[in-house]
Amino acid sequence: MLTTGITTVLAITVAGCSGSSAPEVDPDAADGWSQDFAGTELNVLAEATLNSEILAQLAPEFTEKTGIEVNIETAPFAQLVQSVTLDFSTAQGDYDVVSIPYDYLGAYAGSDYVEEITPLIEENDDKVGEDFDQDDIIPGLWETAATWDGKSYGMPSNSAVTMMMYRADLFENADEKAAFAAEYGYDLAPAQTWAQYRDIAEFFTRDAGETLAGDTLSEAMYGVTMAGKRHEAAVFEWMNYAGGFGGGVVDADGELIVDSDASVESLEYMKSLGEFAPPGFTSATWDEVTANLQQGIAAQAISWGDTAGAMEDESQSAVVGKIGYADVPVETEGDEHHALHGAWTYTISKQAVDKNAAYLFVAWALSESVQKQIGEMGGVPATRAAFEDPELVASLPSWPQQLLSLENALARPRNAEWPQILDQLALQVSTALVGDSTPQKALQDAQTEIEGILGDKLPLKAF
Amino acid sequence: MQAPSLVILALVLAFPLIYSVVLSFQSYSPVDAEADGRFIGFDNYIRMLGDEQFGRAVLVTIAYVVLAVGIETLLGTIVGVALSRLIRSRRIVTSALLLPMIATPLVVGLMFSFGLNPQFGYMTDFLRALGLVGEAGVLDSAGGAFAALVVMDVWEWTPFIALMVLAGLSAAPQAQIQAAELDGCNTFELYWHVMLPMIRPVLIVAVLFRATEAIRQFDQVYILTGGGPGSATTVNDIFQYRISFAAFDMSYGAALGVATFAVVATLSAILFRFLNRKGADA
Repeated sequence: MLTTGITTVLAITVAGCSGSSAPEVDPDAADGWSQDFAGTELNVLAEATLNSEILAQLAPEFTEKTGIEVNIETAPFAQLVQSVTLDFSTAQGDYDVVSIPYDYLGAYAGSDYVEEITPLIEENDDKVGEDFDQDDIIPGLWETAATWDGKSYGMPSNSAVTMMMYRADLFENADEKAAFAAEYGYDLAPAQTWAQYRDIAEFFTRDAGETLAGDTLSEAMYGVTMAGKRHEAAVFEWMNYAGGFGGGVVDADGELIVDSDASVESLEYMKSLGEFAPPGFTSATWDEVTANLQQGIAAQAISWGDTAGAMEDESQSAVVGKIGYADVPVETEGDEHHALHGAWTYTISKQAVDKNAAYLFVAWALSESVQKQIGEMGGVPATRAAFEDPELVASLPSWPQQLLSLENALARPRNAEWPQILDQLALQVSTALVGDSTPQKALQDAQTEIEGILGDKLPLKAF
Repeated sequence: MQAPSLVILALVLAFPLIYSVVLSFQSYSPVDAEADGRFIGFDNYIRMLGDEQFGRAVLVTIAYVVLAVGIETLLGTIVGVALSRLIRSRRIVTSALLLPMIATPLVVGLMFSFGLNPQFGYMTDFLRALGLVGEAGVLDSAGGAFAALVVMDVWEWTPFIALMVLAGLSAAPQAQIQAAELDGCNTFELYWHVMLPMIRPVLIVAVLFRATEAIRQFDQVYILTGGGPGSATTVNDIFQYRISFAAFDMSYGAALGVATFAVVATLSAILFRFLNRKGADA
């Protein structure tokens, strides 16, 4: 009995194996994609976001076209970076295509872990389908996501970018407009400058029992919501303000400007906003920012564009159709607006089983139909065609702003030491926000520590 | 006969240790092509001595271990003595006391993280109602966040001390207790002068266990505060994790690990020696 059972199981297993190891490719299904690599199996590691989930759902279409099998594994930020670093540094070759946060570009490209993409684009020009057009990838995004020291190492996998989100319904309310104009002497409108952003934050911060747009508030309303925990979320939040004030981490010449007057001013400004943020913002990350906006208890935030889908999702948001999307404010009206890139990048490992097959997968992920489906299913695409698609623009209120922000966004440094710099900034921003140090002292301390980390590499040649 | 097991032991214990020691004399980062594993002598150790942030992490760890284990020992002993006097409900109460200990540290961290959420947490509401915390909640200040970690550990591990005390009391020789009673000791004197000294070895083992566990506290801090605000709750393990796996400075991380190992091993040796002497006395 037992023997028969085992034999049956074995037979099924063997049959199963032989079925999957030689995929049948139908030339009619190719759509212009090469089937030369049929039978190759690719392992892809990507960040645990909607974009990756969508791609995993669509992957069978790629297999149908090319005969290449794809296994997509996902992991959250920190674990992904650790797995990838281990895999790359030990040359294990578990992953063929890895979506990395672009901050690690210098680390991985500088250590020669990932393939340069340009030769692969040229080599495989006749092997990709017609719905892939590399010129359609938004140039600034591609530059941030993949260019390191003059060479390109991948293609953008996720186009997260910051923007200002505000409660358009409140901003358009006649009573609120009148009250705001009476109090501040100018019309209520989406903030152009940081001073206006602060006025609006102050104006909308109200206790439970007060009136907001004609209704009595059952719980408190806050002018802003922001991330202030000792976490990268707080550093990225600060970099939005710093970009607006002309400060930041590194200037165009590669010199550190962490403790510059503009940087200090921007952190002081961020701290001053805390007064109008929900209590305990010093232990909040982007998750709480998104939740506060969705619950409708915050009037404004500088937040990530890839959360816009969550704002417009009726199953989890109380503010569907009420959020407006605009540029991140600036210091003085007329200054150039700057968002902050949060992009991720598909890179091809030097250990990939077949780098051309891996490239085909990346190209397919950025092809027009896949990019449009990513948009339709709530993700964030990386091509201009998807952001300008009339159907998507009509149904996604944040779409035009996402494109604008992508075009004016600044990049975080991407040098090999950035992880250490980020850690120091997270420490000092948090220290300043809880008042254990002044913004000036905190940023001076950060500058000193970072100078120690970088040593004689300053001024940075590539960043 | 023992050779195969010794070989395995050597492989799993000695190899990583030797590897860490070697690494601690190198400059190595998997994400920095310039930190390619070349030997740099004692540079990592010298850096450690001048590293203020490491110094602060050590102080935070010492304060954390002393406070958390101290409070647990005190409370645990009181609870253990109270338990020993229960007759009918002892078994139920003992089982209930096991509950916090069974929860994995990660889950405990998440429970407190929800409870202490400044906006929706039920613990925050409760503390606010008592007037103990302000609008911004517990985790907004250095002192509050640190206290939360200590309370979390005390909540989870006081039962452990209590159970050890209970076990010690149950095994205490009855003849001396009866003799003391005949000599006219009152209940307090009986515990203070007779029974607690008897269970001292058990208590020291319990404290030793707890202290070595608390020194490597990581999960709960990682979940609840991430080491913040500022560096208020950056205990040694969080600091080393950041160095090795967030900043990927593997060789400096190895040096920190080796130093921590040396300190903990020394502490354990001292405690074991102390324990042996006391054990012989008792």
